[in-house]
Amino acid sequence: MHLSTSSSDLVVARSASAEARIAQRPGLRLTAADRPGIAQPVPERDVPDRRWGTILFVALVLTLLMLGAWEWHWRSFGVEPSIANTDALWATQRRRIDQGEGDGATVLIGSSRMLFDLQLPVWQALSGKRPIQLALEGTSPMFALEDLADDPNFRNARLLVGVAPDIFFSGFAYRGDVLKYTRKQSPSQRVGQWLSMHFVEPFLAFDDPDYALPAVLERQDWWPVRPGMHPRKDVRKLMVVTAPDRASHIWDKLEKDPAYAALAQSIWAQHFSLGPGMPTPARLRKLTAEQIARASVAVAKLRKRHVEVIFVRTPSAGQYLVFEDKLFPRAQTWDVLLARTGAPGVHFQDHPELQGLWLPEWSHLATRDAVRFTGALYRIIEHDTGHQIAGVAAKPLAR
Amino acid sequence: MVFNSLTFIAFFAIVLAIHSLPLPWKIRKVNLLVASYLFYSAWNPPFVILLWISTVVDWYAAQGLVRAQRPVARRAWMLLSVVANLGMLGYFKYGGFLLANFTALLASVGVVYHAPAPDIVLPVGISFYTFATMSYTLDVYLRRALPARNFLDYALFVTFFPHLVAGPIMRPTELVPQFEQPQRASRRRLFFGLALMTVGMFNKVVLADGFLAQAAETVYDSDKIPGALDAWMGTLAFSGQIFCDFAGYSTIAIGVAMCLGFAMPDNFRFPYAAVGFSDFWRRWHITLSSWLRDYLYIPLGGNRHGPRRTYAALMATMLLGGLWHGANWTFVVWGGLHGIYLSVERWLRKRFSGFKPNLWALLAFGLITYALVNITWVFFRAKTFSRAWTVLRGMFGTNDKAVPLLSTESLAVVGAIIVGLVVTHWLMRNRTLESVLARAPAAVLSCTWAVMAFAIIATQGNGNAFIYFQF
Repeated sequence: MHLSTSSSDLVVARSASAEARIAQRPGLRLTAADRPGIAQPVPERDVPDRRWGTILFVALVLTLLMLGAWEWHWRSFGVEPSIANTDALWATQRRRIDQGEGDGATVLIGSSRMLFDLQLPVWQALSGKRPIQLALEGTSPMFALEDLADDPNFRNARLLVGVAPDIFFSGFAYRGDVLKYTRKQSPSQRVGQWLSMHFVEPFLAFDDPDYALPAVLERQDWWPVRPGMHPRKDVRKLMVVTAPDRASHIWDKLEKDPAYAALAQSIWAQHFSLGPGMPTPARLRKLTAEQIARASVAVAKLRKRHVEVIFVRTPSAGQYLVFEDKLFPRAQTWDVLLARTGAPGVHFQDHPELQGLWLPEWSHLATRDAVRFTGALYRIIEHDTGHQIAGVAAKPLAR
Repeated sequence: MVFNSLTFIAFFAIVLAIHSLPLPWKIRKVNLLVASYLFYSAWNPPFVILLWISTVVDWYAAQGLVRAQRPVARRAWMLLSVVANLGMLGYFKYGGFLLANFTALLASVGVVYHAPAPDIVLPVGISFYTFATMSYTLDVYLRRALPARNFLDYALFVTFFPHLVAGPIMRPTELVPQFEQPQRASRRRLFFGLALMTVGMFNKVVLADGFLAQAAETVYDSDKIPGALDAWMGTLAFSGQIFCDFAGYSTIAIGVAMCLGFAMPDNFRFPYAAVGFSDFWRRWHITLSSWLRDYLYIPLGGNRHGPRRTYAALMATMLLGGLWHGANWTFVVWGGLHGIYLSVERWLRKRFSGFKPNLWALLAFGLITYALVNITWVFFRAKTFSRAWTVLRGMFGTNDKAVPLLSTESLAVVGAIIVGLVVTHWLMRNRTLESVLARAPAAVLSCTWAVMAFAIIATQGNGNAFIYFQF
């Protein structure tokens, strides 16, 4: 049955005063706010009498011109299109374990050093099997370690845990919500990630959070520092993802452009002093103890499912290494971690073949040396000390 | 799926293409219905069942209302609809809240009760579609409208994806008649719909998410104590963020519907140029405030039973309106503050009924209104009362150990956007967007459109959900 025409009559009658009021002001139209206590009529939406086709065409041309200029600007800066290192991309790799690849796999967790420094193609060439890359920049791997420890799909496997002392032992998690995102990822978000990876990311260099309009505006030099605040620069683009399985390496601009490398170093240096907002030494000791305790529990669970956990202290250099040694002395952190967990570990300072590597900004290996590092690390784990099953080797490998 | 996502762009392109094919109207309506279910299930497929329950219950309740002769029977059918809808809403949205308050109540009388964590996931948009379907049975019950002629039109009214998850809250009489006749947008309507979508997207992606959200987060989600400048700028940033987010959503929804050939009502009318709070609520989230007025305030007696009853109805409506926004007492306080504002304004208008403000007085009252609205936003945005009081003390300059929180850049950007927003609202106070666009030079329109489109793409929105999805 059709909606009541009488209700429409009622609308007209009761809203007569409102209409009269609106009529005195051309350009206004009635809304539900003007028609109390009645059935609301079909809304009226006027379209301004313009040549919208022409207006749209010109707007499209101008938009394309501006986007072209923006793209050209960032390409001139040295940026190339690459796969976006998003939570959704991480989720695709985490799901591989849920889908059965967790039995017998080699999985990498850690922070950016494990992500940029360990080259998946090299490992694959040496072992015949490509690892699953779950390391996340600026994020302690503890959440992933505990998640995998609780996942029965992950068994008879090998887990390399990257240890960057300032992140691992403080528990800092820049992207700590990624697991929650993965568990709650909607079908729509999955489709969006696929569309982006196939139709946007391969073509647009500026599609990177470092070049988002608000980020670009925020880091301009013209802003004076507000009295009482410390000047602080956010970490800039450091890496490139080269494959959908998150194979990555350091951005070559850091190798080719000394000014950009110096900028990256100056950003790290912001953290090297215990300024306001930084944890106190006592707080750091407490955090370290907590992280080691959590790691011990997780490693014990993994050992029961025949997962070999190997901690890897990835290289650092320059003032970054000085900072790490000062705040996170090896004897109080790394050595305790291996002793408490009973898991073996590879520390870059213990192996001659892991020396003499180039880290353009003190924290990540140049791509060529990342290739060398990966090969050497593989050989140390596989050959120099033999294949050690977790629980047997509670000591540094080949120290 | 959210409007500001690649998935939606692909989805909408396909839906629009099928809708434009020379197919029978019924087939095209089925296309819209299936698309709407896909749109909803793209978040969490099982929750589409709730949508079906709400749809079916209200369909049969309305049919029953028409057949019923006795008032008791009519009331029973109406109550079936209300209980079913509010029951679902109550369980999913307020289950945890009620349990927590029950536990606290027992604890206050010395009974220790550890309730199991309910772990209830809130189905997206449930507050919106339950209100839309309830308006269907309530309009039939109140004899304002007759039921839809066929189930397809009615189901499409409930589910139509542009308004499904965050409004505008549609009434059946606004939408069902549009489904009864074939609709297809002309080229002009299609292009103008795309223009509206761009305006909405610019509000959401660039202004709300790109430039305002961060400042609000810095002030409200920090444990540091803000001074007057930071507390005000964080709150002003949120006032801009929530407007740009929600009005942006509504504008996109209106644009999407227009591209498909349908008309949806205004949900905002430049609210930060409101003079007084009754004016504010005639401009802010119009479809909710009018829903509350028609189905709560007026049935509670409205202004028909003397001043006391009027003030009581006003307060009850605003408190429940606050609770509608979220299962937290902070939202109730937000609604309560608006109830008090409206009551005081009502009293003042009676007391000074002959007062006619000049332009400057109007401006002053407008700014006072905006300032007081910002006070209410503190409770809306803060996750706890403790943080709300900290920010409020900051706004009144009484925080002792305040530290600067927002950078110069943040202060400048928020300041520029908020001044621009409020000035725009005042300039547009007695106009519609369409009336301005009708007179603007075509070159200006093209350039503005292009700048907004460029800014949307260059801001690289990360697909943040709209704030009102959580309600």
